[in-house]
Amino acid sequence: MAGEDLIAQFQTLGMSEQKAKETLKNANVTKNLQLALAQAAGAPLADGTGMLLYHMASKLKAQQAEQLPLLVRYIVERKLDNTQRVDAALEYLLKCGQKLKANIDVKELEQECGVGVVVTPEEIERIVQAKIKSSYKEALLEQRYHFNSFKILQDVRGELKWADAKSVKAAIDVEIFDLLGPKTEADLKPPVKQNEKPKAAKPKPEANPSLQAMEAASDGANTIAELMKTKVHFHAPGENFKTDGYVVTEHTERLLKEHLQKTGGRVHTRFPPEPNGILHIGHAKAININFGYAAAQDGICYLRYDDTNPEKEEEKFFVGIKDMVEWLGYKPAKITYSSDNFQQLYEWAVVLIRKGLAYVCHQKAEELKGFTPKPSPWRERPIEESLQLFEDMKRGKIDEGAATLRLKVTLEEGKVDPVAYRIKFIPHHRTGDTWCIYPTYDYTHCLCDSIEQITHSLCTKEFQSRRSSYYWLCNALEIYCPVQWEYGRLNMNYALVSKRKIGKLITEKIVHDWDDPRLFTLTALRRRGFPAEAINNFCAQMGVTGAQIAVDPAMLEASVRDVLNLTAPRRLVVLEPLKVTIKNFPHAAPVQLEVPDFPQNQEKGSHKITLDKVIYIERGDFKVEPEKGYRRLSPKQSVGLRHAGLVISVEEIVKHPDTGEVVELICSSQSAEQAEKPKAFVQWVSQPIPLEVRLYEQLFKHKNPEDTNEVPGGFLTDISEHTISVVQAFADQALAQVKVYDKFQFERIGFFSVDPDTSNNRIVFNRTVGLKEDAGKK
Amino acid sequence: MSELISELSKLSDLERTTEELSTQVKSVTGKDHYAETDDDLIKLQLKNTKLKHRLSIIRQSIAYEAKSAMEVTESFSITEHLENVFARAISLAFPEYGNIPVIIAPVNSASAKYGDYQCNNAMGLAKKMKEMGVNRTPRDIANELQKCCPLSPIINKLEVGGAGFVNVYLSKDYAAQSLKNILRNGIKPPRVLKRRVLVDFSSPNIAKQMHVGHLRSTIIGESVCRLLEFLQHDVIRINHLGDWGTQFGMLIAHLEDRFPDFLNKSPPIGDLQSFYKESKKRFDTEEEFKKRAYNRVVSLQSGEPNSRKAWQLICDVSRQEFQAIYDRLDVTLRERGESFYQSRMLSVVDFLRNKNMLEHDEGRQIMWPNEDRSGIPLTIVKSDGGFTYDTSDMAAIRHRIEEEHCTWIIYVVDSGQSTHFNTIFKAAERCCILNPTAHRVHHVQFGVVLGEDGKKFKTRSGDTVKLSDLLNEGMKRSLEQLRSRGRDEILTAQELFEAQEAVAYGCIKYSDLCHNRISDYVFSFDKMLDDRGNTAVYLLYTYTRICSIARNLGDDFCYLLKVLDTVEIVLNHEKEWKLAKTLLKMHDIMIKCSKDLFLHFLCEFCYEVCTVFTEFYDSCYCIKKNKDGEIIEVNRSRVLMCEATAAVLRQCFYILGLKPVSKL
Repeated sequence: MAGEDLIAQFQTLGMSEQKAKETLKNANVTKNLQLALAQAAGAPLADGTGMLLYHMASKLKAQQAEQLPLLVRYIVERKLDNTQRVDAALEYLLKCGQKLKANIDVKELEQECGVGVVVTPEEIERIVQAKIKSSYKEALLEQRYHFNSFKILQDVRGELKWADAKSVKAAIDVEIFDLLGPKTEADLKPPVKQNEKPKAAKPKPEANPSLQAMEAASDGANTIAELMKTKVHFHAPGENFKTDGYVVTEHTERLLKEHLQKTGGRVHTRFPPEPNGILHIGHAKAININFGYAAAQDGICYLRYDDTNPEKEEEKFFVGIKDMVEWLGYKPAKITYSSDNFQQLYEWAVVLIRKGLAYVCHQKAEELKGFTPKPSPWRERPIEESLQLFEDMKRGKIDEGAATLRLKVTLEEGKVDPVAYRIKFIPHHRTGDTWCIYPTYDYTHCLCDSIEQITHSLCTKEFQSRRSSYYWLCNALEIYCPVQWEYGRLNMNYALVSKRKIGKLITEKIVHDWDDPRLFTLTALRRRGFPAEAINNFCAQMGVTGAQIAVDPAMLEASVRDVLNLTAPRRLVVLEPLKVTIKNFPHAAPVQLEVPDFPQNQEKGSHKITLDKVIYIERGDFKVEPEKGYRRLSPKQSVGLRHAGLVISVEEIVKHPDTGEVVELICSSQSAEQAEKPKAFVQWVSQPIPLEVRLYEQLFKHKNPEDTNEVPGGFLTDISEHTISVVQAFADQALAQVKVYDKFQFERIGFFSVDPDTSNNRIVFNRTVGLKEDAGKK
Repeated sequence: MSELISELSKLSDLERTTEELSTQVKSVTGKDHYAETDDDLIKLQLKNTKLKHRLSIIRQSIAYEAKSAMEVTESFSITEHLENVFARAISLAFPEYGNIPVIIAPVNSASAKYGDYQCNNAMGLAKKMKEMGVNRTPRDIANELQKCCPLSPIINKLEVGGAGFVNVYLSKDYAAQSLKNILRNGIKPPRVLKRRVLVDFSSPNIAKQMHVGHLRSTIIGESVCRLLEFLQHDVIRINHLGDWGTQFGMLIAHLEDRFPDFLNKSPPIGDLQSFYKESKKRFDTEEEFKKRAYNRVVSLQSGEPNSRKAWQLICDVSRQEFQAIYDRLDVTLRERGESFYQSRMLSVVDFLRNKNMLEHDEGRQIMWPNEDRSGIPLTIVKSDGGFTYDTSDMAAIRHRIEEEHCTWIIYVVDSGQSTHFNTIFKAAERCCILNPTAHRVHHVQFGVVLGEDGKKFKTRSGDTVKLSDLLNEGMKRSLEQLRSRGRDEILTAQELFEAQEAVAYGCIKYSDLCHNRISDYVFSFDKMLDDRGNTAVYLLYTYTRICSIARNLGDDFCYLLKVLDTVEIVLNHEKEWKLAKTLLKMHDIMIKCSKDLFLHFLCEFCYEVCTVFTEFYDSCYCIKKNKDGEIIEVNRSRVLMCEATAAVLRQCFYILGLKPVSKL
């Protein structure tokens, strides 16, 4: 049918031309509508019926598609006469959807949809009055017109499911007017903001769409737990068939029943990294979503090593991955390995060959690359032959690269017949020399999910195109089929996460190792001093939407500051010490001062520092010739010493005889109470211990160092100079006993964390972040 | 104080440097250093790992296959298996005679009480022992052999009978299991030593008629290839076209005269044979033409482009005609004509000359096949410097062994050429191209085709029979036969056409294959199309009937694998057991056929299967129906037997080039 005709037809349903045109762009809705139109076959449509058909067509899922004629008939016959009833019908049909060609119990359907239920205005009025009287009167009197009457609407409809929303709203308005009278001036002013607590209650399954919309307005949350409880709307375990794109077969009902028996209805998720590299910030999101969702639903989450490629796997990666998961605060319900399923996967491959759904192919890897690779000439070879060749592959009789097992399925992106098995004469760290054929990601992933009874197979958006082959494969083998949900990948600007490229940075000696704090691997972030909690919160803020997110490191750093601000005790440290001798030191001997760990929150403890006649201040806190607006120490301007109760003024400047560099200041002091209030207080130390402090800067100059448009010379040419500097700082004795990863705020400087290089006679600190966002850059 | 600070920082700088240096020293002295920097070493290490891994996998596979070789799941020839069993028994009982060949014979089904197979070695052994001065009766020896037989899953019991036969009774469990395996996994070939085989067959001449002699070569060659492929050999099918030689001189010269524009426009040579005759006539009568024809031979062999092009055009005409025949007969061939060996003929002459194999003889250069100058010498170079068939055959055999690395070369050519080929084989052996311990060469010869009058096969007018005409005639006769049975009323047009082709080509092939190929055979459509006796038509009908049994049961047998999981094959009835044993002979037959490449054994086997099946079907009901034709009982075990029979026939048919049709 030509587009013009369709637009005209759509308009007869009551759509504007604009809307009709837009609808035409959605192939699925258009198809449903066409079918609906054919079904209605020119029957006269009552007012609004057309738009109900449209509503149905746009909501219809594949699982309900076979019931389209029924829906159309009910709508045309005005049995389903508003969107609410249509939605209820769709919901009911979806529930029946796990059976192929299910017999629809028409009576039950009609009951579910309230067909024929008429709610009189009197009834509405009665219920509205009762509700207001019993629950809302006081709040209404207090908040007057600022009260959100939507709550009442919801409540009433809870009782009167089939009441027309407009009539209910009108009835409520009338009642409120009765109660409050006309709006006063105060009522017209915007309401005073109140910190409304986030709703803790789980959204009801049949929540009003507008409610969901309200909640979805912001994607992120402050913590993972909050995110998972309020912002994520996945299917309930066992209701796989209700999700978009899920394929129902004759076995679905039985398999889902068995699945529920095995899991006891619990949520099962998994974090499935390949153990061939180090985890990075992107993985943190995956870890948080999988573990977080399971935790929020009282379910379990596995850590699964997807160890099907023996080439790159090393023991250290296994340990590293587990460490990082635990560091982020999660405990896997069980650690599993894809390789544990090799035998089962192999047997299933044989089943697929027998069913004519897989075949042995001899095309070379290069032939499969490119946009339109040649179709395999071996696709239709006899099943017997494939079985024999697959056996030969397994027995080591065929050379590496000379044969693969391919699945007869086309992926959404057009990739034809993905490879399921390839030959690799490489021992596997777990299975040793048992196998020389290894399954691919495409083949293994969904089957391991199925074996582990995963309820929600959560993965990044790139894998959306594999969803249909995922479902195809489980269904081809007649095994339980989990639901794949995709979320957007998290990309960090100014960062590299590719294993190969980081490896290059290391061999080129640009960074020291995988955990060099300038990198965005999780070990690097830990070493840099980022608290796990901050990383988790950061992930929570990013949310679980489908959009791929690219953020600047500053976002993550902000989360880090939020956490450290509350958790990192304050210390006085000078990075570039300048000696100051206080001429009129007010004490006879060095004194111990009690200093709070958190000046804003004194109860959280304190520590002692020493004040002596000789102190060190930050070299940058003194200027011989200050510019205008300068607030700290200069020959003519005194400055306060933090926590010391002293204000010092320069008396004499001692310079190096050769270089003229200021080497010491002789100052006089006054007690803070007596002295004029100084414009600033600076940090200082006495009788200090030395610290090695490593200051890091952003490694790359450009946002996307891997993008050849931005960086034509490749990422190695994009390295900023001097991204690490080491200074010998002075700190108070109080820092002598630190442990690795202890975190502090060096007052007025930033947050710092103890580096693992620290030993008995050497204390090393890394700068985690500056105090303010731009502190790191100048 | 500031000095102190700078001292301190210097000191810690020093400390850091020392530490860095010491880690560097460590990394330089450690092995890892090499591994990280030397790419070649890394590659070699990886290669080593891979080889080790593959070795380990292959060792496991060998162990696995050695173990499973004795299991019933593998397919093997029963005779060969029993040979192994008795070879072990002999070497255990009489180690000094461990090398004598084992004699296993199947027992005629009429004397089934003497078992299914016999080992007949006792008599021979007794004779040998007597020669050595040991006196033992054959019966005594047979008893000894029986005791020493290792356990085999296929043997139910052993008995010594008669003068000293060891009678072998096959295990019914094994037979039932084997039949199920056939149904479950298809027919797997028995294990044989794999060879790279080249089969030279069909080989017609460009510009000449393809005649019934070529038909025999084509049919036999194709089946030989299929047989060897089934046995997992690596088979190269070669069409040794006669596309080179002096006749091309006159063809090219004639082409130049008839179609002066041939370089730009494809000449419309409709009838290449009459074109050939025309040029031949001119060649014999016109002196100038003859001279020019010789010139063209020279320019063609030197690769002159115009002559080359003319040659190409002429070959293409023939090629199309040949291909049409091959398509109809479902024959696959790789063309490698005599022209392919032009450069190799030059080098084989050098090769022979360097080995001092060539002798001058009245201007020719000849080579004796035998050191002692016996036999007929080969003409390697003619007096005019040209080459002969001898030269090209020597070049070809050398290419096949040295470049193609074949260890088995088969020439499917009529018996008339047997002296020629024996000479070539001898000569090749003499000049060490051929090593008889490593290479097998085989002239698969066949007799001539006779007409029903017992004379050479000719048309009524006395011309040689054109192959396409013969095939057309076959199609016509087959259709008549089908019509006479009223099939045109039952079958759809498509089914009828398929049946017509299956019968026509099937019977032409089968009647060629079902006789011992060495004897001449009488070509008779009437005999071929007879539906009784050992004919393609009988076999095809029987096969169709067998297939219809399971098909009539509908759904149940669509999922054969499911049936196999639940139903056991029972072989209690005498005829059931006879059919099972017959079917299991298949691998024996295949091995037997492959030894000397006689396909009539396979034809006889098919016929036997069909007759034994008929006996079985006559006395064992598979499906019981009541008066109204409703199924009241199904013997599923027997239906499985039917299916196994069909599977065996299907496999044999494939080798024989018969196309089974589901409806006939």
